[in-house]
Order: sequence, then structure tokens, then C-alpha cells
Amino acid sequence: MKGFFQKEGTVKLLSSLLSILTGLVVGGILVLIVGIFSKNISLSGAWEGVRLIFAGILSTGRDAAGALTWGFNPANVGNMLFRATPLIMTGLSVAVAFKTGLFNIGAPGQYLMGTLGSLMVALSIPAGTLPRGLIWLLAFLCGCLAGALWGAIPGLVKALLNINEVLACIMTNWIAANLVTWAFDVSNLKNVVENTKTGYIYKSSYGLVNGQYVADQGVSTAKLGLDRLFPGSQVNAGILIAVLAAVAVYILMNKTTLGYELKACGANRHAARYAGIRDKRNIVLSMAIAGVLSAAGASLYYLSGNTEFFWTTYQSLPGEGFNGIPVALLAMNNPIGVVFAGIFMAMLNIVGLQLTKLTAYNEFITDVIIAVIVYLSAFSLVIRMLLTRRRHREAPPAQAQAKPPEGAENAKGGDET
Amino acid sequence: MENASEYVIEMLHITKEFPGIKANDDITLQLKKGEIHALLGENGAGKSTLMSVLFGLYQPEQGEIRKNGQVVRINDPNDATALGIGMVHQHFQLIDVFTVLDNIVLGAETTRMGFLQKKEARRKVEELSRRYGLAVDLDARVEDITVGMQQRVEILKMLYRDNEILIFDEPTAVLTPQEINELMNTMREFAGEGKSILFITHKLNEIMAVADRVSVLRKGRYIGTVNTADTDKRQLSNMMVGRDVQLEVVKTPASPGEEVLRLEHFSVPSHLHKRNAVNDVSFSVRAGEIVCISGIDGNGQTELVHGITGLDRPNGGTVTLCGENITHDSIRRRGKNMSHIPEDRHKHGLVLDFTLEQNMVLQRYLDPEFQRAGFIRQDAVRSYAERLIEQYDVRSGQGPVTVARSMSGGNQQKAIIAREVDRDKPLIIAVQPTRGLDVGAIEYIHAQLVSERDRGKAVLLVSLELEEVMSLSDRILVMYEGELVGELDPRQTNVQELGLYMAGAKRNIGEGGSAT
Repeated sequence: MKGFFQKEGTVKLLSSLLSILTGLVVGGILVLIVGIFSKNISLSGAWEGVRLIFAGILSTGRDAAGALTWGFNPANVGNMLFRATPLIMTGLSVAVAFKTGLFNIGAPGQYLMGTLGSLMVALSIPAGTLPRGLIWLLAFLCGCLAGALWGAIPGLVKALLNINEVLACIMTNWIAANLVTWAFDVSNLKNVVENTKTGYIYKSSYGLVNGQYVADQGVSTAKLGLDRLFPGSQVNAGILIAVLAAVAVYILMNKTTLGYELKACGANRHAARYAGIRDKRNIVLSMAIAGVLSAAGASLYYLSGNTEFFWTTYQSLPGEGFNGIPVALLAMNNPIGVVFAGIFMAMLNIVGLQLTKLTAYNEFITDVIIAVIVYLSAFSLVIRMLLTRRRHREAPPAQAQAKPPEGAENAKGGDET
Repeated sequence: MENASEYVIEMLHITKEFPGIKANDDITLQLKKGEIHALLGENGAGKSTLMSVLFGLYQPEQGEIRKNGQVVRINDPNDATALGIGMVHQHFQLIDVFTVLDNIVLGAETTRMGFLQKKEARRKVEELSRRYGLAVDLDARVEDITVGMQQRVEILKMLYRDNEILIFDEPTAVLTPQEINELMNTMREFAGEGKSILFITHKLNEIMAVADRVSVLRKGRYIGTVNTADTDKRQLSNMMVGRDVQLEVVKTPASPGEEVLRLEHFSVPSHLHKRNAVNDVSFSVRAGEIVCISGIDGNGQTELVHGITGLDRPNGGTVTLCGENITHDSIRRRGKNMSHIPEDRHKHGLVLDFTLEQNMVLQRYLDPEFQRAGFIRQDAVRSYAERLIEQYDVRSGQGPVTVARSMSGGNQQKAIIAREVDRDKPLIIAVQPTRGLDVGAIEYIHAQLVSERDRGKAVLLVSLELEEVMSLSDRILVMYEGELVGELDPRQTNVQELGLYMAGAKRNIGEGGSAT
């Protein structure tokens, strides 16, 4: 048993679960406090809020007597999986960069560029000129390409000029935000009715068949029967692609020579160079891969056929991009963990909706609560540190006696500070 | 414990166990007042663990620590400092961007109403510095001063805190021969004043030169304590290693064959100043000989090697390896015909967060043996690593999956040697291959290099250790201020003459001349 608890994987999993639980508990307490001090929420209403925080995904509404009902809610679960898709992708993006020693805070920018690339292509190709599956594929690939370019910029800056990728990422984020607004503003791809949106939702619903626009024949992600599994939800094959992407990233990082190179550069750029690995190329490559993943997330989200893109992005960056960071943290940068972390984050989203729909809590307080949970969830690193430190104190690693271990070096600082 | 004991610090029957290993098994160490006491042991013998126990970083399972006969409990480094114990770590604990003075007073600042009283501190430090001849520039930033001066700063830090028990952890590893002599004198002076010194090392010469008594540890066990006056190097090395050790390198005269490496008018720019770090150097290394570049640290040896291996770009001249001009080749292409045991094993030699097996294939992961269609053949890597570990006796906690960071310095170096030697290239460049290692490991590495030479490899050795230079090389080239100033035959020269060349006082190769 002791061996089991000392395994690194166990510690990682345990710390992630603990931080999720802490986040939920604190979120629950917050709901309770808000409920108690709010005039229009009764004590029982507050208690309902707490229950929803923990199990909102299983809520099916209220019965005739006004009590909360519970059970499997296919629409909720389906929507959760749908919303998880971009989170998983940006989570993978951040995780890949982390594994190669880079902090990809540029996911929002890459996400926006992915949106731009895929929607521009999808909207510019007239319906009927190409098979709709091909239009979708071209749009998806173009989105990925745009993301790759956008990720490669901070990578190049870092590799060639040794400028910190965080700075470059933040700047490229805002360039992307303005670029997207500009590009749609000068284009004729806007929604005719509400021109702050793109016209994609129309193209995704109606496709040209024998010279006639027919409903349900538009360019959108295939459902692959998932809509029958989760009726009433937005779910589509995007979630499957995201899971495949996670597996692919796992294989890339752990089984291939390319992953070996990328990790070597991330862990010790000098040693990689010494061994003849092209460190600069790998930095650029790893940022480009991160960019592709973020952008693919955006493409999957916006090419789904049931989401609208507001292209006036110059004032704000998409949350899905930033949320990739807590997803990756929560998953300890493990690609497979990212899938579950992404789904968990999407679940919070659904819980927030349920809270708004079923109780007197308004949507802003639910956002605050979600933020608290996310924030605390990202504490998994801290919790992991606490877990391993306790373990170290009890039993440092066997080989540590040869050199003063890391911890010792730090602790020694104690007599000087 | 009726009256004061003759020992200032006693560590009695200390046992410290880590999972699977007894790092310290019933170890007793008694330090007399005013003595220089050497603690001798191979890498991994338990010296550092013992010191960590003394500093309160680990709590021993058994045993006790006494100061002046009184049992004391040391829970953390602050307790140790309060007891007057100070330590100069092997890796200095200085803040690079602070001045020397700030570093010395850091943590023990004199303040009045929350304001630093630097004048008083300065006076005290200046006085200490004068009294012990520890010349430092108080206003220089640590990053700008030499390693030797950084060490003096560390020593002054202990003195400033009025420590009376001074621990030196492998203090000579980074020093030039002259600086080592100065340090020895300083240590004697301290001891003469009644301070007690614990000197952790595995260099037998230094122990014989300066220590009064030696305690020897081996594989976590206490072997014994002897007076240096009653012992000799051979006995000490036997105690340390547990068997007879060959202190001198055994080798037959070289029979050099074809030329493998040739440098012509080779120059490499410096990162530090505008002049060339390596200036117009020409020499060659033939198969079956060990050519040693010797010189005082910082005379261009590092840049020379970086220029040859491709880590730095040369700005003049050519490098020819096995008949091919490789002056502008990529590092990987150069690796086709050369192995490189790098100077800095943590920076270049290993990816510390990788496992041992991952490190073993650092250059070879693209070989068909280890990958198929871009996928790493995990089983092949594993069995290869197992073979190297077995063949080169690399010791680690979990074999191939040990994280390199957790291995001892000696075994890290052995892993690098195993990897580089096993790549089986015509040229081996070894830069300070035995730095910081113990007698057993040094013996092993020397034997490896000699046997590679005998197998017809060209070996280019860069070393700062005069003894190593004299005993291992077939030909010595001396570098001074970026130029080759002398070519010597180790059989016809001596350390004194070599020293004159190293100091730039003598020269037998003309300006821009060549040695072949």
C-alpha cells in the first residue's frame, strides 16, 4: 500500500482529485453564504444551490411540487461533452508546451486565429461547389494552419532572440484579437441580420442540394449518432476528435523520437544541443504544435453548426484559451488527464447554467463560483507539493544520500535568510 | 558528562535510513577543538547525509549529537547556526547580483530601527578579511568575481557569523593549484586559533597535507578514524574503497597511428571579452595517443572544446576530423566521428529530469536500433541501458528508470562515460572527466581512457589536475591566454616546469606556431 501511495502517478491523481474537491467545497460554501445573505434566496434555496454545485450535471429540473429532481440528463451530459471539446484541445495545447519547457499563455490568440482560419474558409467556399465534408475538412485544416503560424511566432522569437515566450504570447494574443475583428469587418462574411456575428450558423444549417437550399445539409461536424445518445444536446463528433487528439499527443510525447527531442529540449536545452538535437527548431515546433491544438479546438467549436461567433473580439480574449491553463494544471500535463479535466471544467459550466435556470442565483454569481472552483482546482500543484513534501520528510529518495538533495539546498538557504 | 569533553562536536552512532538503503549506519564522528578533521569517503558513502543530519535537514533514526559534551537537538539549519556551525558548500550559496558585502551580511544584518548598518558590517568584514588574508572586493558583484574569490566570500560569511565549527565541503574542486595552497594555509590559521574544521574531500594529497585526523566512511558505514601522521595515502585509499587501489595510471608507451583530428589556425571568439578566447591554435591528435590540453582554468580550454564539438562557432581556421573538414558542420554530423565527455555534466552531459535509459540514448535515439518509423523502441533502449549499466558499473537506485538527477555525481559521470565510450567513435574528447570524483571512480575512468587509447582511439583530454595531466597523457599541450605555448613530453618534464608554462612564464611554441 505504501508503494502505491508513493508512486508519482498516484500522487498526481490524488492531488488533482483533492483540489477538485476543495474547489467544490469552497464553491458550495460560497453558494451557502450568498444564499444566506441574499433576500430573495431562502435557506432551502441555498441548500438546493449547494446540491446543484456538487451534482448539477444529474439535475433534471423540478417536479410538480417544486422539488429538485435528479437522474440522467442526456441534454446536460451531451452539452457538457460539447463544451469540453475546446477545453480539452486548449488544455492539450498548454500541456504540450509545458512538457517542452514552455508556458503557452498564447492559447487564446491561437484559438482566435483558428476561428478566423476555419470560418473564413468555410464561409468563402460557396455551398455546392465542393462536397460539404470536404469544405468542413478544408476549413478545419486551415484553422489548424492559422494556429500553427500563430504559435510559431512566439516560438521563433524565443528560439532566435531568446525573448521569453510569455511576453511574446501575450502580445500576439492581442494582435490576434484585433486582427480577427478587422478581418471580419472588411469581409462580406458577416451575418446579414446581426452583423457582429458571422454568417456561419446559416451555412451550417442549410446546404445546397440540386440547386436548392435544404435544411440539415450544411457544413457542420458530423454527429455520428451521438445526438441520439444524448438527445436535446449540441454534442457532435468533436469530442471524439478531442479524445483522439489526446491519445495522439500522449503517443507523440511518450513514444516517438520527436517527443523525445521536444522533451529533451524542454528539460535541458543545453544538453539537447550538445547531443546534436536542433534546439531552436524544436522550440518553434513545440509552439506550433501547441498552436495547432488550440486552433483545432476553436475549429471544432465553431464548425459544429450550433455556435455563433461574435467577431468583435478586439476587447476580450476567449476564455476557452485561458481555461486551457487550469485544465492542463489540473491534469498535471498528462494528455489523458486533460480529457477528464476538460470534461470537469465543462461540467462546471453546465452546473452554472442549471443554477441559473433552477434557482434564484443569477448567472454572475455562478460565474464567480466557477472561477473560485477553477482557481482552487489549479492548486493541484500546490497540493502535490504538500503531498510529496510530507513524503520526503518521512522518507527521502534512496539515492539522495550521495548529494545534498534539492530540498536540502533550499533548506540550507534558511540559515542565511 | 561531568566536565567539558575534549570534543566540540560529536555525532555518536548516527543511523539514517532511507527506503531500501542505510545511508548512515552507526556512524561516529568526533571533532576536537582546534583540529582539522578530514571526512573521507567515495561518492555515495554517506558524507553528505551525515552533514545534513548535522545541519538538521534530516533527523537520524538513532544516535545523538553532542556539543561540548552536552546533547543537543538540531531540528533545522537555524539551530545549527546557533550552535556556531558554518559550512562552505560545494556549490556556493551566493546571490549573483548582490555585492560581496551584501552576500556576507545577508541573514545576519546589523540593523538599527529597521535600517541596515552597513558601515559597521563593512568594518567587521574588512577586519576579518585583513586578519586572515582573505582578499575580496566588497563592492564587486558576485557574478563578476572569480570562483576562488567566491569561495573566500563563503568563508568570510562563516567568520562574520562567528562560527567556530567550519565545514568545508569539497572546497578544492573548483580551485587552481595556487588557490588550493592559499586555502590550506587559511585552514591551518583557523585551526591555530582554536576553530575546528571539518574537511570533506576525497583527495588524499590534500588530507595528507593539511588534516590532523581522518574519519573514513564507506557505503554508509564508519570504517575508522586515523591520525594522518600514522597513515599514508595507500592505507587511506584502501579504507575508503575497500580494496587495493591503483593510484598511478598503468599504461604502456603510446604507439600513435594515423592522424584523427587536426586543427589549423583555429580561433574561437570569447563570450566575455572582445579578444579571441582561442587564438590561432594548431595541433593534431593521432589514433592511439592521449593528448592533454593543460592550463589554468579559463585560458581558452572550454572554448577550444566547444569550437571543436560545435557548441561554439569558430571565427577562423579549420578543424579536420578523419580527413573531413568539419569546421562548419552541425553538432550531429560531428558526432558521427567523435564522442564528447563534456566539462559540465549537469549542463551538457545529462538531461537531469530524464531517466538513466533516456540519457543513455541522447545521441543515438535516431539509430535504427532504437527507433522504427519515428517510434522509440522502448525495449531496445531498456536492454541497451541495462547492458551499459552492467558493463560500466553505473550504480543507481532503480536501474534504467532512475531519474538522472537523483544519482550521485560519480555515477552520473560514469553514465556519461559509458554512453560516450560505447558510441565507439575514433575521437574521444574528455574534458575534466574526473572532476569532483573519488579515487575509485578516477581509477576506473583513467583505465577506461587508456584502454580506449590502446584500442586505437584518439583521445583529447582537457584537465586542470596536474597529477592527471602528468600520469595520463602521452603528449601535453599547454594553453595560456588562448594560445598554445608549449608542447611537452610527460616523461621528460615535471610539475614545476609544467607550472611555468601554465603561468605563461615559459614558451616553446612561437606566436601562431603549431605543434604536431
